[in-house]
Amino acid sequence: MSRVDLEHVSKRYATVAALHDISLSFRDGEFFGLLGPSGSGKTTLLRAIAGFVEPDEGTISFDGRRVENVPVHKRQIGMVFQNYALFPNLTVAGNIAFGLSVRRITGAEASRQVSEMLDLVRLTGLNERKPRELSGGQQQRVALARALVTRPKVLLLDEPLGALDRRLRQEMQVELKDIQRETGVTTIFVTHDQEEALTLSDRIAIIDQGRLMQMGEPREIYERPATIFAAQFLGDANVFSGRRENDFLVLADGERIHAPGSAATVVVRPEKMRVFAARQAVPVEASNRVEGNIIQAVYSGASVTYHIRAARRVGRPILVFVQNLEGEVLAPQTKVTVAWSPDHTVPVEA
Amino acid sequence: MEGAAVRRYRAIFALTAPAYLWLALTVFLPLSAMIYFSFLTQAPIGGRAAEWTLAHYVAFFTKEVYWRNAWRSFELGLYVTALCLLFAYPAALILAKHVKGRWREALFLLVILPFWSNALVRTFSWTMVLRGEVGLLFTYWAIVIGLVHAYLPYAILTCYISLQSIDDSLIEAARSLGASPLQAFLRLTLPLSTPGILAGVILIFVPVIGSFMEPRILGGKNAIMLGPLIENQFTAVFNWPLGAALSFIILAIVLLILLAASPFLRRQLQ
Amino acid sequence: MARLIAPVLARLYLAVILVFLYLPIAVMMTMAFNTSPLYEFPFEFNLIWFKALFNNERLLSSSLNSIIIALANTLIATILGTMAALGLNRYEFRGRQLLELLLLPPITIPWLIIGVSMLIFFYWTGIGRGLHAILLGHVALSLPYVIIVVGTRLKTYGPTLEEAAATLGATPRQAFWRVTFPVLAPSIMAAALFAFAVSFDQFVISYFLAPPGISTLPVEIYTSIRKGFTPEINAISTLIILVSMGIMLLVARYYRFGGER
Repeated sequence: MSRVDLEHVSKRYATVAALHDISLSFRDGEFFGLLGPSGSGKTTLLRAIAGFVEPDEGTISFDGRRVENVPVHKRQIGMVFQNYALFPNLTVAGNIAFGLSVRRITGAEASRQVSEMLDLVRLTGLNERKPRELSGGQQQRVALARALVTRPKVLLLDEPLGALDRRLRQEMQVELKDIQRETGVTTIFVTHDQEEALTLSDRIAIIDQGRLMQMGEPREIYERPATIFAAQFLGDANVFSGRRENDFLVLADGERIHAPGSAATVVVRPEKMRVFAARQAVPVEASNRVEGNIIQAVYSGASVTYHIRAARRVGRPILVFVQNLEGEVLAPQTKVTVAWSPDHTVPVEA
Repeated sequence: MEGAAVRRYRAIFALTAPAYLWLALTVFLPLSAMIYFSFLTQAPIGGRAAEWTLAHYVAFFTKEVYWRNAWRSFELGLYVTALCLLFAYPAALILAKHVKGRWREALFLLVILPFWSNALVRTFSWTMVLRGEVGLLFTYWAIVIGLVHAYLPYAILTCYISLQSIDDSLIEAARSLGASPLQAFLRLTLPLSTPGILAGVILIFVPVIGSFMEPRILGGKNAIMLGPLIENQFTAVFNWPLGAALSFIILAIVLLILLAASPFLRRQLQ
Repeated sequence: MARLIAPVLARLYLAVILVFLYLPIAVMMTMAFNTSPLYEFPFEFNLIWFKALFNNERLLSSSLNSIIIALANTLIATILGTMAALGLNRYEFRGRQLLELLLLPPITIPWLIIGVSMLIFFYWTGIGRGLHAILLGHVALSLPYVIIVVGTRLKTYGPTLEEAAATLGATPRQAFWRVTFPVLAPSIMAAALFAFAVSFDQFVISYFLAPPGISTLPVEIYTSIRKGFTPEINAISTLIILVSMGIMLLVARYYRFGGER
């Protein structure tokens, strides 16, 4: 269980900066998500922590001890690869015991630890199977057990659930979280799936084009994204930009919304907005209002998603998520008022 | 940071150098030596002096006998390649599309096996068949038959690999759009399998124009081709520089063919 | 209906092809067991030609040469080739594509030309002809095949297995012997068998590099054929082709079963 600190880590490949001046601290025992689109550098960062990538600049430390010059096999990490990388010529037990045998732990003691691990990942009894006989979910658990048995300082997961189908993924997410809590190992995982990052992580870092975009607890980042990118990558967002007039933002079509602060661009989450048809009364606290017409209403059971074109505005439709309280769906063409509280108007950097 | 890079290059060198040094010593340097020799008047061995000359190349381009040999080799290459592909393509098509499961693997193995067996013996075995009443031995066509027999599995192999990689759903899509089986074949399957056909052409034509064993064994005196001619220079006539020049001409043709086809080959290799 | 005829025609066609491919071999093998020294029918089973082999000094000694060279070739080519395959497929470096391209000439250039150029070069540099020269030549021909066979498997399995081993604490050497090598083993085996067959069956290069009085089995057979048919050739050829095909069946088995995950 270790603290991991990255300071000003940079890496270039030819003319491309894969990592640009990244400084992050991973707390001992936390479940940390590195979130970003493909090519963002998140995997490069993970591999730098593992030791497969040598940073051109900056330092990486485990518990204060610098490790940039420490080869991979001496860093005492555990890693689960995207395709699991199970050794095809060894059994499940052989795979899990590999890390032990390298540390000269064999025989009865090794078997005991292997069985313990199999119990932890709920694969008891599959010791003698070969990897090719296992399902995707089972392989993933073996890979996890193999990485954990050596009591690593840091556990690194590279898109661990990417290859699993939806149902399995959701199950594994819960199990992964449980296992991490039980073992308490500092875990850093890479994903491009924002939902996964939100549900699993204690803290998230959003990485794009090699740079650290924003870092914090999921709730913090979700409710208060710092940039348009963060807002749109982690969830859906309605973006409004315009001219500043003290506490108000004047939009292109003249409508004014109350947006404290000085940013010229703000973002509002769709679930924070409400839709009112012509005859309905709009509550006072939802003082930011935009008139518009419903283009499309998508009924998804628990909620309804409205796509609304603001009157006189050309631009992207406003997205509103409405909880399905009354079972009513407003029809397209209906004139509506979209309203939300200024508290939910989040200033962002463009 | 530099230490790791140096270690890496040392590792790469240590691993690949032995094999490539061996190849350099036994293939690349000798080929260079051969090219060098082709410009000499006589082999500079045993203290004999040699001078630069283009005489051998001039002889090739002017003397009719060499042209005849070259043309016959070329002609042989064309016949053998064409016949091989003609017979191989349907076989590959059947194997790739109409035979399934274990039969396919077994048949494929049966087809390939002769190719990987001893070529000399296979050629010799044709003498058993073609002699006597069949009377084809020591004729031009015996050489053709022997070479087609030798390279047919190769042609089937390359066509098969290409055909097999064509997704069945493509054909189904074409059929659903109204194409008849023949149309689907002509407009989809055939074009998509051209890499295999092309690979087959190159892999057959090149060795055939340089072959000498099959022509000698099956053609006897009728083996008027570059291959036997070159061999003669080294075993009977001892005009090494001429042999080297003729070899270089074949080599140049081979390299030209490979260069011309390299974009296609590169795709095939991937 | 065309639908019904087509499969039958297809199978028939394949059968014809197979008959064409195996006919001469079958004829030769039949003659090997036939009493008549002039390859005439009727067929009478006899092993005399096989027995005669054992009295033929030249055939025996050249067989021994072939086997020794093939074994040496297998050892050298497999080791050097596997190392090169590792170097090419586990590291990224400039010039890698060039090196891979350099494997093509030995395979694609007609053996006649390679043999001739080896003869020239070896004479010129004093290496000369002989069994050692033949070995040099055979290894050169086998190397590309070994590198390609082992290299393909390395490409299939990617470096992640070794990376995983490293994360588990294995040094690069441990990772190689305990993870890479077992995974490679079937294809190394296939490559080794292939190298053996390439050397054992090799004729053209051996022909040019064999000095008078010493030869390998294929060269010996060739000179015998050129001098005139002797029935023993049938017998030895039958044996060779059975050995040849047997080895290739083994290669297929190793390569296929190795390829299954």
